[in-house]
Amino acid sequence: MKKAGHTMLEGFKRSYSIVLLLALWEVAVRFGIAPSILLPAPSAVALALVRDLGDMHYLSDLALTLYRLFTGLVIAIGGGILIGIGAAQSRLGPLLLEPLIRVLSPLPKIVFFPAFLLLLGFGSAPRIVLVVIDAIFPALLAAYFGARAIDEKLIWSARAAGMSRFACVFRVVLPAALPGILTGVRIAIVIGCVVVFLSEMVAPGDGLGDALIRAARGFQTVQMFVPLVTISLLGLALDYAVVRVQSTLVNW
Amino acid sequence: MRARSDRFGSALAPLVVVAVLLALWQAAALAIRSSYLPPMTEILPVLGRLLWSGDLYPDLASTLARLFVGLGIGLVLGIPLGLVSGRSPAFANFITPILAAFYPVPKAALMPIVMLWFGAGDFSKILIIVLTVSLPLVYHAQQGARAVDDKMIWSAQAVGCGSLRRLFRVVLPSALPEILIGTRVAIVIGVIVTITSEMIVRQTGLGNYLFTALDMGQFTLTYAVILVVAALGFLLDWAFEIVRRRLTVWAPDRLDADVAATS
Repeated sequence: MKKAGHTMLEGFKRSYSIVLLLALWEVAVRFGIAPSILLPAPSAVALALVRDLGDMHYLSDLALTLYRLFTGLVIAIGGGILIGIGAAQSRLGPLLLEPLIRVLSPLPKIVFFPAFLLLLGFGSAPRIVLVVIDAIFPALLAAYFGARAIDEKLIWSARAAGMSRFACVFRVVLPAALPGILTGVRIAIVIGCVVVFLSEMVAPGDGLGDALIRAARGFQTVQMFVPLVTISLLGLALDYAVVRVQSTLVNW
Repeated sequence: MRARSDRFGSALAPLVVVAVLLALWQAAALAIRSSYLPPMTEILPVLGRLLWSGDLYPDLASTLARLFVGLGIGLVLGIPLGLVSGRSPAFANFITPILAAFYPVPKAALMPIVMLWFGAGDFSKILIIVLTVSLPLVYHAQQGARAVDDKMIWSAQAVGCGSLRRLFRVVLPSALPEILIGTRVAIVIGVIVTITSEMIVRQTGLGNYLFTALDMGQFTLTYAVILVVAALGFLLDWAFEIVRRRLTVWAPDRLDADVAATS
């Protein structure tokens, strides 16, 4: 109990500036310094968020966005780790992968979105593909550089002890590269959240991003903040979950 | 091995990659035969005419102008903020949670809200760019300033160097390699946020031109503009990498610099 109180105090100390900022914002709106039509109070946004989370229409938008996000992330992270570790295992891999990374990773991937719309229609598919090509790079790069940075003596001793090449990848390379890979996964998750939302704003139809566009057309400022806060909190929560996994792994 | 593949990679390999990708595209387009996927042999002539006619240049210019103004303001604000927070734990405790909470927010999605406050002009768009590019700049400047050897600060103090002078004469140069990595990230995501906000609020710029072509059913032109924007993103990063490597030949090269560039 005492420990819980202590960590709560620590938590407050660590994030007091956010509390302060939200309080100032609330006061500014309450006292009419900022007009609430243009800038709704944080409490009003929080209330609207809670209300919308009980609304079937909003929940269906949220479900669509989550479906697109998670499908894209699973493909991007799984594929990225597979390609990254695979390429690090052979002599040819780096020669093929490094130039490809140099050309493709700095490209603004969202510019290919119109092409995906043309080829895949206006449904979920083009948004999932956009999430994949945007989120794959941090996962791939982390896996590739993580696997290349492994002390080769570890692999030699495992191989000398009779471990097969294939088993070695799973028992030695992957565990050693995992902390770095999880850092890549964290970046991939946040990029995925941002990109799926933006894809729904650029070509509206449904999903959380579309909810923002609808609210903007109706000048409902509070409703504009709700989807934005939802996707940001989702990003923070998923990121925090990976950090927790990462810290247990490092302790081990 | 690594040095050789690097030298090969920096000069020729990207060109080979681009040629192979364009050839794959051509093959796919010829196999599918759909007006939604025109072959490169149709796109490239349209691209040539587009660049020759100058039709795209006003939009290209307005995109680049906003991007560079946004980056400039971001550098001027972000680097000092990051350096100070790297040397002052109290300031870091204040600013880090705010930046961490702002990090997962889709910044281009703020466009409709910012427009309510400041109108649909350049000010709103540049504000979004500044907010976006400042995050990696502050973060990397902070990391760089934190890693400065304390003994250097003490010696500067001992010879009577004031705190502001210390920040610019001691902390800034030692943090430079890290700051330049932050700048690279800022350029990459700066291009993304500039184009994306132009796609959301369609008035001027390459993002607007792209979706206008798409809406008018000019698919070949759409693909030509996609190539222009992709090339712009690559060339800006490539040019800055040359500058960055020149400026930091003395610093140990970081293997994970590319990982950071995608964040």
